[in-house]
Amino acid sequence: MSALRRVVHEVRSVEIGVATHYEQHQLVVGRDQVEGLFADPALAAVRAHVAVPGDRVRIIAPLDVVEPRSKGPGGGTFPGWVASVNRKRGGDTHVLRGAAVLAAGHLPRNQEGLIDMSGPAAQLSPFGRTNNVVIEFDRADGASWQEAEVAVRRGLLRLAVHLADAAVDAAPDAIEELAQPHRPGTPTGGLPRVGVITNLQTQGAFKDVFVYGRSMAGSLPTLFDPAEIEDGAVVSGQYGHPALRNPTYLHCNHPVIAELRARDGQDLRFAGVVLCPEPVEQGDKELVSTHAAWLCRAAGFDAAIVTKEGAGNADNDLMLKVDALEADGLTAVALYAEMSGADGTGPPLVAGPRRGAVVSTGNYDQRVKLPAVERALGGTRLGIADAEATSAVEVPTAAILSALSPLGAGRLTCRSEQQLGGVA
Amino acid sequence: MRIVHYVNQFSAGLGGEDAAGIGPRVLEGAVGPGRLLAQLLGDEHQIVATIVCGDDYAASNTAAADELLGLARNAGAELLVTGPAFGSGRYGLACARLVAAADAAGLPALATMHPDNPGIADAGAAPVVAAGATTREMRPTLQRVAAAIAKLATGAALTAADGRVAKAARIGRLVEHRAAHRAVELVLRRLGGDRESTEIPVGGFDAVDPAAPVDKAASAIVALVTEGAVVPIGNPDRLESARATRWLRYQIDGMDTLASGVWESVAGGFATTAANADPNRLLPLDAARTLEREGAIGRLHGEFMVTVGNGTSVAAARRFGIEWAAELRKAGVQAAILTAT
Amino acid sequence: MTIAEQVGALRIVPGRGIPYPSGDPNLPLPAEQAWRRQLVQRALDAVATAVERPTIFEVDVAARADA
Repeated sequence: MSALRRVVHEVRSVEIGVATHYEQHQLVVGRDQVEGLFADPALAAVRAHVAVPGDRVRIIAPLDVVEPRSKGPGGGTFPGWVASVNRKRGGDTHVLRGAAVLAAGHLPRNQEGLIDMSGPAAQLSPFGRTNNVVIEFDRADGASWQEAEVAVRRGLLRLAVHLADAAVDAAPDAIEELAQPHRPGTPTGGLPRVGVITNLQTQGAFKDVFVYGRSMAGSLPTLFDPAEIEDGAVVSGQYGHPALRNPTYLHCNHPVIAELRARDGQDLRFAGVVLCPEPVEQGDKELVSTHAAWLCRAAGFDAAIVTKEGAGNADNDLMLKVDALEADGLTAVALYAEMSGADGTGPPLVAGPRRGAVVSTGNYDQRVKLPAVERALGGTRLGIADAEATSAVEVPTAAILSALSPLGAGRLTCRSEQQLGGVA
Repeated sequence: MRIVHYVNQFSAGLGGEDAAGIGPRVLEGAVGPGRLLAQLLGDEHQIVATIVCGDDYAASNTAAADELLGLARNAGAELLVTGPAFGSGRYGLACARLVAAADAAGLPALATMHPDNPGIADAGAAPVVAAGATTREMRPTLQRVAAAIAKLATGAALTAADGRVAKAARIGRLVEHRAAHRAVELVLRRLGGDRESTEIPVGGFDAVDPAAPVDKAASAIVALVTEGAVVPIGNPDRLESARATRWLRYQIDGMDTLASGVWESVAGGFATTAANADPNRLLPLDAARTLEREGAIGRLHGEFMVTVGNGTSVAAARRFGIEWAAELRKAGVQAAILTAT
Repeated sequence: MTIAEQVGALRIVPGRGIPYPSGDPNLPLPAEQAWRRQLVQRALDAVATAVERPTIFEVDVAARADA
């Protein structure tokens, strides 16, 4: 297996222009080129906008978010969508760090969320801090929403590759070597081998995550090359719970993998990654959980961090894995968001593990007051607040994209505080 | 001070579940647990009247709190005390709503129930004094209540020292490190032998007292209920697709099936393609109707209740459960089939 | 352990998937209707049975195979 090098180009500003161009941390996105990349019978039109940190802009109904990445002209990233799954692995991947491309707009089954580029919500979403290229789209007459969704996803991935390609010849700001995980059976220096299990939502149309372009539904858990995750082998087509969503951007920048790498050789050995579906049937949930625990043991993990996507039944998937791991003698920690009501006094978990330990990524129901903004992208109304998209609103944290990131991208947690009487 | 005391049908000695449907009535002086409370209060405060209402009536009727408050005022209440409801959900909900209404209207009031009573959240800003879990703890509970009344009568606010339930609220905070970093820290602590650390307590289970079985389903009234968000197409009553704050009911009398194109699911948490192609996949009306016709079900209740489970807080879901139970009992329903997604 | 057991539901009849608790879109219509009838029938058995703790009432495995 070959190691991967991230060739990092830091993007500090982005604008729409005539032709795509990258120089001196400035990214120009060619308007006509964007249209070409999204050309598809299912789409009547697309419009590219820019939303950068500090802007008084609100992005309504965001869909997927992608970080520009390319392995050089010809792409090589996002295999199964815009690259062959059997291309050469490893090598160099150019990354436009600080930039993101995302789609926004009405899509049935997309649970409406938002991103604010300033104010308190900008602190809560990872995409309130990136320089964003926002794509609005119109579905073509006669096209189904499912066709439009596939066209938008493919267009976003093409755009991500196209933008990163513009930086291939620029001098990088950093080169980051990403070693393969520690091999089982090799000396650990007395350090524990810690890996990660990442559950992917697999519930069919608009509720699916793709591995090499195909749904993981029906699959058993598998050990997976983290270099391939960096290169976009995991792509989101999942539009449930905005705050509990794992966009493609966060899979490529998987926070738990990053933290494990950062500690590798210091106080642990990064043992590897297991990808696992979230089945819809209880017997299958139990099967994949038992199998995942077995796989971790067979791969020599001493401990695993378990992540999910979604809520409700996804919590059951987490619980079953933590319990299976701990019953097998492995140490397990899961990342959960809490659902303790607007005042925080309700029970935090519907289905928590019986053993192990849990990290809290914040309270789904906690209200956040958002100030009015100057302009909105993706829509003119904010349905959840029944208000003009630009007006001052109060929303649950649940509505802010990836604010409760199940992959651990956020800095929210909850602490128990005693208080008297009503706080509602 | 003139005190009016609220109790349920059981505490007042009017009957058990058979009397849970009775409407509000006013009794003179102290009744049931009020007698012991009156003793403990001494001469300074008098229980001038006791208001009684059946649990089902009080919990299923959102206007009941205002009705009961009106009766308390007519009885000359200067202070209102409700309970102890101990762990009883419907009773707790009634007590909580009544003190919330009194508090909002400026009448000093306190409720007493176990801190885990699912109705407690409805007390809002009104004080709740902790009761034990069961009636076995009546005396110590009423001792706390009597002391709390004496303090409240002076105009002072109750605190945790008075037995006021201090809600442990879990408040969201931004902290220095992201969750992924904290997860690695937590794993390393656990590997180092610390088996206690966790950001959310683990291992909690809900325990529910089982209801007695029905004698024969063939002679029972059976209801269908669901959290699958099945509504008439177009969602005319605007049921939420996530984070429900309410529930709805729809008539199914005379209906043999939930037809596609007539009913739909607005649930946001799962793919609804299959359910919308045949809504009986979410609420099994066609099969239940057949079984009713064949005599396996005595009678199918004439309406179903529906909410959405997707992202709904446990506290809200518990309240819906209490209200559904009260509604169904009031209608004479003996069993319910809840389809859950 | 299922969510239903964990939240303390006392009488539980397992369905075949979250999006269709009382159906199975993978079956032809008559077979699905038979399956739904079995689920409801099993629920009726459950409400007529005394339980002390969360109890699962599977539709008979043989019946499932036939469905």
